[in-house]
Amino acid sequence: MRKLLYLAACLCLAGAVAWRSSAATMPLANPDDGTVEDGVFKSEYFNLSYPLPPGWIAGLAGPGPSTSGYYVLGSFVPAGELTGTILIAAQDIFFAAKPIDDVMAMTDEFGRTAAKVGGMKIDRPPSAVRIAGRRFGRVDFSGVGLFRSTWTTKIRCHFVSFNLTAGSRALLATLALSLNRLGPADDEETARVDPVCVGGYADAEHLLRKVDPAAVVPAFVPIPVRIVVGGDGSVEHVHVIRATSGQRDSIERALGQWKLKPDEIDGRRTEIETGLVIKFTPTGAVHYLPGNRTAPEAESE
Amino acid sequence: MSRDRSGYSALLASFAFAVAAFALSGPASAQQDPGVRGGPPGAGGSLPNLITCGVNPGCGQAFFTAAQVFFTSVFSVTGGIDDGAALGVTNGGPGLGPRFNLNQCAGCHAQPAAGGTSPRVNPQVAIATLHGANNVVPPFITKNGPVREARFVLNPDGTPDGQVHELYVISGRSDAPGCDIEQENFPAAIAANNVIYRIPTPTFGLGLVEGISDLNLVTAFNSNQALKSQLGVSGHFNINPDDGTITRFGWKAQEKSLLMFSGQAYLVEMGVTNELFPNKRDNETTPSCQFNVLPEDMTIFGTQDPVSPPTGSTASDFSTGIVNFSTFMRLSAPPTPVTSASAVRGSVVFNNIGCQACHVTQQQTAVNGLAFLNSSSNCPPTPAGSSASCEVTLNPYSDFAVHNMGYGLADRVTQGVANGQEFRTAPLWGIGQRIFFLHDGRTTDLVQAILDHASPQSEANAVINNYDLLPPQSKQDLLDFLRSL
Repeated sequence: MRKLLYLAACLCLAGAVAWRSSAATMPLANPDDGTVEDGVFKSEYFNLSYPLPPGWIAGLAGPGPSTSGYYVLGSFVPAGELTGTILIAAQDIFFAAKPIDDVMAMTDEFGRTAAKVGGMKIDRPPSAVRIAGRRFGRVDFSGVGLFRSTWTTKIRCHFVSFNLTAGSRALLATLALSLNRLGPADDEETARVDPVCVGGYADAEHLLRKVDPAAVVPAFVPIPVRIVVGGDGSVEHVHVIRATSGQRDSIERALGQWKLKPDEIDGRRTEIETGLVIKFTPTGAVHYLPGNRTAPEAESE
Repeated sequence: MSRDRSGYSALLASFAFAVAAFALSGPASAQQDPGVRGGPPGAGGSLPNLITCGVNPGCGQAFFTAAQVFFTSVFSVTGGIDDGAALGVTNGGPGLGPRFNLNQCAGCHAQPAAGGTSPRVNPQVAIATLHGANNVVPPFITKNGPVREARFVLNPDGTPDGQVHELYVISGRSDAPGCDIEQENFPAAIAANNVIYRIPTPTFGLGLVEGISDLNLVTAFNSNQALKSQLGVSGHFNINPDDGTITRFGWKAQEKSLLMFSGQAYLVEMGVTNELFPNKRDNETTPSCQFNVLPEDMTIFGTQDPVSPPTGSTASDFSTGIVNFSTFMRLSAPPTPVTSASAVRGSVVFNNIGCQACHVTQQQTAVNGLAFLNSSSNCPPTPAGSSASCEVTLNPYSDFAVHNMGYGLADRVTQGVANGQEFRTAPLWGIGQRIFFLHDGRTTDLVQAILDHASPQSEANAVINNYDLLPPQSKQDLLDFLRSL
């Protein structure tokens, strides 16, 4: 009997270790992992679902992520005649060319840019609106027979934008109303807790252990990398946003071994998400550049 | 009262014809490419205000003129055949082959003037058998098709190739006795889907492009990020692997400078070795096809003007061919646009639907000025109080970055950090007088060229959707605007 109990305890312990290892290595979702199923766009990373307007389908696929952390999450069109389009995009705040991290500042910037385009009319100046429980910056504009509306919100270190284009004001209004159906990716009873966004966290002040990736050509190309750091300071997830396969492998292998000072909020250790840019030189050296610093997350509720 | 039967019959015939024409016609075209803009060439001359040289104030213009003559000269294997005489241009000298695409820079770069792009009649057909050469014209070269170079995507062992494989060999030419190499097997490459094509890029205004500082390129690229983010557009620059600076010439922005472009083209397109590329591509394998001392284009060592009679530009006479070529391009003026009411409306359409996200209208050269312009004599600017304006504003309609153009335009060749789906934003200045479009010259129809921007994974999809949503007149205005450039 004692031997049986001993064996059961060993098996339980082995199972616990295996579960922990598996949980630590289970890949986390990335910003460009969204899917369309049964007429609904879903993104696990952004915890977002968007039922497409009736009769709308996925259009041509967009490009992969850019070196500045810009993603085309989805492009949608009506199934028949083209009367409008919906483009969902995301910009990683850590890597944007301009270090803006406030939704209204981003919306104002877009409004200013649009106003300078000859023949473009701002129909609705940049304004803050609340839709589906989220704070958005909205600006409507039109010109040459096209009516457009850009809605921007901040989710998990990214500006996510819904860019609506229509050949008529009536259709544009319909598309805008469709955003009321935005919701979480999964119906969850408990609120999901995402890592806290902290720009520039992987710096000398916080790095406890660093392993340099082996340099892989091409040199000089900025490689944006997003990492999720666990409560114990281990790197739980490495997302090399854009690189060659050789560079990606090298960086994932190295950064997966990094250790950082755990972050604490109200005395509790918490997961954080941060970004950095890596450049290899022709001599094989590795240069690290911090991503844009960000203000505390305050937009989602 | 009698009827005028002849008039009645004519009226009836006209009516019948109109009915028949209406019945047989398809839907009326909503918009049409107006076609190549007629009239005199809008390009081909020199920049105004070229540098003056003290006692020789016309030195800049003289160098341009002499360099232009060199650009139009015709080359042969040993220099003994003067094919230029029939064309009214000079004998360029030796160096052609052993493999080549054509024997004259201006033969490919011809439309609408020397320095341009592919002409309407392809000179690559006639040269295949010129002077007894044994070549067979490849299937992708036709009399009324674009001038093309061919690149193989993969090597026989499956590793990436991407290099130019010249169309022709000098075997059989009267000035290549004993040379017996074979043409590339293009039918096999085509059957294996292993060949892609490129057409010549126009060279007008490239000195100004070369003079845009990296900082100004980046500034212009970043200035419309908000606009790009609404349209699915991103892009990035191609870079020099040696020093990390931005490269900007060629279909994938793979070339760093006009001199490098000249040297590379001189060797690869015509076979002429030079001081940047001093070895023949077939040097070791085809000794029977080597006829000249190398490099065939070299700096003159003597003190007496080597050109007889002198061209009027000592700088040109003593410079190498590649310096002459690059100087011709550097000193050339950008194309001059024309205007019309429709083109003005079309420019508004161009900006509204998002074409300008990549085809950025304006760029600026470096603040230090351009050494070959007279207006730069006061540059760099003196401290406060200087009124010298050293930056030159140009309108190339390009950000000179590379963008993902999707499956439809992919050529599967990587150059620098531009992958097989990425291409440099083609400058649109001068497009009004171009015949063939896109990197391989696949269409002569601007409407088709616009629509070909859209395919899976292309950054242009949203902008092309905006184009599709336009009313017909706005589309026509856009086409008229493009043909005005």
